[in-house]
Amino acid sequence: MPVSLPRTGPRGRLLATSALLVLALTAVTSCSSSGGSSSADEDPNAKITLTVNLFSDFGYADLYKEYEQAHPNITIKENRADMGAHHQNLHAHLLAGSGTADIEAIEIGQVAGFQPEAGKFVNFLDNGVSKDQWVPSKTAPASSPDGKVLFGLGTDMGGMALCYRSDLFKAAGLPTDREQVAALMKDWPSYLAAGKQFLSASPNKDVRWFDSGGNLFTSILAQAPQGVYDADGKVVVTSNPAVKQSFDLVAGAIKDGESAGIQAFTPAWDTGFQKSQFATVACPAWMSYEFKANPPADGGKWDIARIPGGGGNWGGSYLSVPKSGKHTKAAAELAKWLTAPAQEARLFKEKGYFPSDQELWTQPDIAEHTDPLFNDAPTGKIFSQSARDLSPQPLGAHGAEIGTAIGNALTSIEQGKADPDGAWKQALKDVDNIVN
Amino acid sequence: MAAPTAAARGARAPARPAGRRPAGHRPAGHRRHRLDRTLSPYLYLSPFFLVFGVFGLFPMLYTGYVSFTGWRADRPGSAGDWVGFENYRKLLDDPFFWNAVKNTLGIGVLATVPQLLLALGLAHLLNYRMRGRTLLRLGVLLPNVTSVAAVTLIFVQLFGRDFGLVNWFLSLFGVDHVDWQAGTLSSWTAIAAIVTWRWTGYNALLYLAAMQTVPFELYEAAALDGASRWRQFRSITIPMLRPTILFTVIVSTIGALQLFGEPMLFSQQQDPTTGGSQHQFQTLALYSYNQFWGRFKYGYGAAISWAMFLLIVLVAAVNFLAARRMRGVE
Amino acid sequence: MTGRRSRTTRQLTAGRGVYAVLGVAVLLSLFPLYWTLVAASRTNTEIHRMPPVLLPGGRLWHNVTQVFAQTDLRLAMLNSLVVATTVTASVVLTSTLGGFAFAKLRFPGRSPLLASVVATMMVPTQLGIIPLYIMMANWFHWADHLQALIVPAAANAFGLFFMRQYLIGAVPDELLDAGRMDGCTTRGLVWHVVLPAARPAMSVLGMLTFMAAWNDFYWPKVVMTQQNPTVQLTLSELASGYIKDYSLVLTGALVASAPVLVAFLLMGRQIIDGIMQGATKG
Repeated sequence: MPVSLPRTGPRGRLLATSALLVLALTAVTSCSSSGGSSSADEDPNAKITLTVNLFSDFGYADLYKEYEQAHPNITIKENRADMGAHHQNLHAHLLAGSGTADIEAIEIGQVAGFQPEAGKFVNFLDNGVSKDQWVPSKTAPASSPDGKVLFGLGTDMGGMALCYRSDLFKAAGLPTDREQVAALMKDWPSYLAAGKQFLSASPNKDVRWFDSGGNLFTSILAQAPQGVYDADGKVVVTSNPAVKQSFDLVAGAIKDGESAGIQAFTPAWDTGFQKSQFATVACPAWMSYEFKANPPADGGKWDIARIPGGGGNWGGSYLSVPKSGKHTKAAAELAKWLTAPAQEARLFKEKGYFPSDQELWTQPDIAEHTDPLFNDAPTGKIFSQSARDLSPQPLGAHGAEIGTAIGNALTSIEQGKADPDGAWKQALKDVDNIVN
Repeated sequence: MAAPTAAARGARAPARPAGRRPAGHRPAGHRRHRLDRTLSPYLYLSPFFLVFGVFGLFPMLYTGYVSFTGWRADRPGSAGDWVGFENYRKLLDDPFFWNAVKNTLGIGVLATVPQLLLALGLAHLLNYRMRGRTLLRLGVLLPNVTSVAAVTLIFVQLFGRDFGLVNWFLSLFGVDHVDWQAGTLSSWTAIAAIVTWRWTGYNALLYLAAMQTVPFELYEAAALDGASRWRQFRSITIPMLRPTILFTVIVSTIGALQLFGEPMLFSQQQDPTTGGSQHQFQTLALYSYNQFWGRFKYGYGAAISWAMFLLIVLVAAVNFLAARRMRGVE
Repeated sequence: MTGRRSRTTRQLTAGRGVYAVLGVAVLLSLFPLYWTLVAASRTNTEIHRMPPVLLPGGRLWHNVTQVFAQTDLRLAMLNSLVVATTVTASVVLTSTLGGFAFAKLRFPGRSPLLASVVATMMVPTQLGIIPLYIMMANWFHWADHLQALIVPAAANAFGLFFMRQYLIGAVPDELLDAGRMDGCTTRGLVWHVVLPAARPAMSVLGMLTFMAAWNDFYWPKVVMTQQNPTVQLTLSELASGYIKDYSLVLTGALVASAPVLVAFLLMGRQIIDGIMQGATKG
């Protein structure tokens, strides 16, 4: 142990021991360079371990077991890191040319940032993958600019819906039936008008209409034909009117007191679900876990309806295979299998992750799937519809960052530190700092 | 405890393994003795300089080189673009950079000064003779053992806007709920509290170790002269602790200027490296990280980190000189 | 331990006020650790309750088995133990020798060298990280091996500087001069004078170094993978995802802190005794 220093002689032994330890460690180490071994000529039956780096639970555990049974020579090991750290590490490891796992997940908000490095990934188009498995809006961000390289296979997507607390709606005299809710809130202005009505009529004055301005902004802008990038990869925050319109809409709602001002994915947000601090949340399919994990403490129930404005996408991911991995060929096969329609369908039914494979959206067992978590709502139908209504938006390297900057500006309005004008100016300064 | 004086009488050092020294055949000593006195210091210092040279200096210089390029990951092929001092010029006009400097210094003062004063007081108390001394002394070090994940979660809850314990406590005195992350001063205070909580015991232990070396006779003599306890503390303990105090001041200053983990964990935004909705607690380390990793501006990020290094050197030097002037520390 | 009794009798005895203040300080220090225990014995849902739950629940065992089932914590603990122990031994040794050289030996270049050591502490580590990683991975081929964590940490400026500041006061010059007069070589002085005098500081430094190595996260995260993880790396895996199960995160945190706490309790007496043997007065 480090701090028990013998009182006399054996001090030298301490030195010797530590030196020996270092030596021993160095000696044990064979030079196993993980630099791009050509796995093309690898024995297909050799025992190998494939590593998969993810940034959250993709729900793959059972699928791995199945794959390992079918391929006795393969063992799969999954690692997860924090979302930000995961992508930063991937950038660092690509830069260094080593250290990547066999399969690396990439989130859609980050994927465009990897386009310049497309050459460092296995090209799935050379590995028997057809782009037609997905809609172009899913494949384009994970392709090289010339379209010749596809480096990411779509996993799930963030088809949008509106989650709402039917018990709180009822208490405030709003409709609780899904169809009626959707009819009442056809578009965002009518959604916000319903919010005002809710706030004035709700007996519980601690409840706000939605969780945070940043989330709402994301959902609104996701439906515009263009977001913060145009098709040429230029940032169009100032020139695309949809951005400012979405911002103003949300800023107005914050001024009306409709926002709880609780940032998503923070501990306070979890508490917000439990303590019923908001009555509606714009919810992509992958968010369903949050509702499972943090049920309302007052026994209230969540339900789910079509999103105002219809369509839109928020989140979703890809699997990629960096060339610097040890077993690129086997890894590409596994990635293909994990993202194949059959497996994607299973993941939706078991975990609620909505598939990005377009053929599934019309498949009966998907389209008719219902979810007991949301009062047996037809989630399959709602998300398929949303996916079909999706107008693909061009993405860019800093999409996630720019979204964060605008979200921060909205937060500063929620905190009472800025008026909408000042906040917008602040956002533009931030965007300028990101781009230049 | 081997009495050193007795030990020093042993005319020769104990037998030692052969090695490292040119075996001088000349009858003993003088030359070898001189060689010993000349070479030993360098020998003792060599491990550190070797390790630092390879694993510290080289990467640092490489980052320095990068700071003179326009390298950005979102511009393929920009890795070798030499731009001279362009990044540094941009830095001087960058409001976010100056904002980060301001935050770093502000949080640094708030986090360092009370912390060291508390640590000194705590060490003094721990130096008393009492029951359960061992447990008490180890107890104050616990914050440093507690894992960061736990610390974050706890402090975020303590400083929660709607249900935080701190706000609940303040509300007893009729104070409205404070949104700790929102305000500049409130966020600085909260972050300084986290830093203070984590590091006070640590510094107290450093002081305590140094307090043990103060000869007790000094206190006895002072007590005979009728000096009060406080007076003894001020005119014996503090002066005797000077080297260690200087050490903790410099180390804490450097630590505060490199503050990274605490503000990041305190953030309740989706991107913790922005340091609040209006960058109100974005420190320099956070800003450089944000430019480097979040925005792939390798050249610019490298320049920020070098500017940060220069700032730290500047502040530490000022501190050091001030401490020296004030007390004539060796 | 002969010197000890005579020493303690010469200390100020604590009054009630001292106990009270220290009691509060220790409570404040203990609380988060206690709360970690509470959270580790409950469900994620319970943790987010407001007002917070303050008593342990009954799920500790369930959570611990979950953590061990979901992660490779055994390997991680072993790795962290090897790294932290080796780094500690090396840092304490190199710091004591180097600190002694700076504190008590005269040699050309002493001041600039000392200034450069202090200056190295000011280097923000995070951004040397990419070059460092490239070195480790492509030149040394150490990526994902423990020496990537051990060797760069084998000596540090903090320890060196700390030891120097301590030894200035702890080793009186007369003692060294006497030793020289008696014909001690420098190594003899280290052996007979410096090491005994440095023991209190060595134990403190050892403890702090061990904790820092055990808790280090940023660099391991870059250079190691989950194939060969450290404890903190494994913990971060628990804390990942859109949605975090904090009860598992904190259970992991508890399990990971346990060895350090045990070491504390076992070593505590010795550390304190070390500190108590006020170095130089006989």
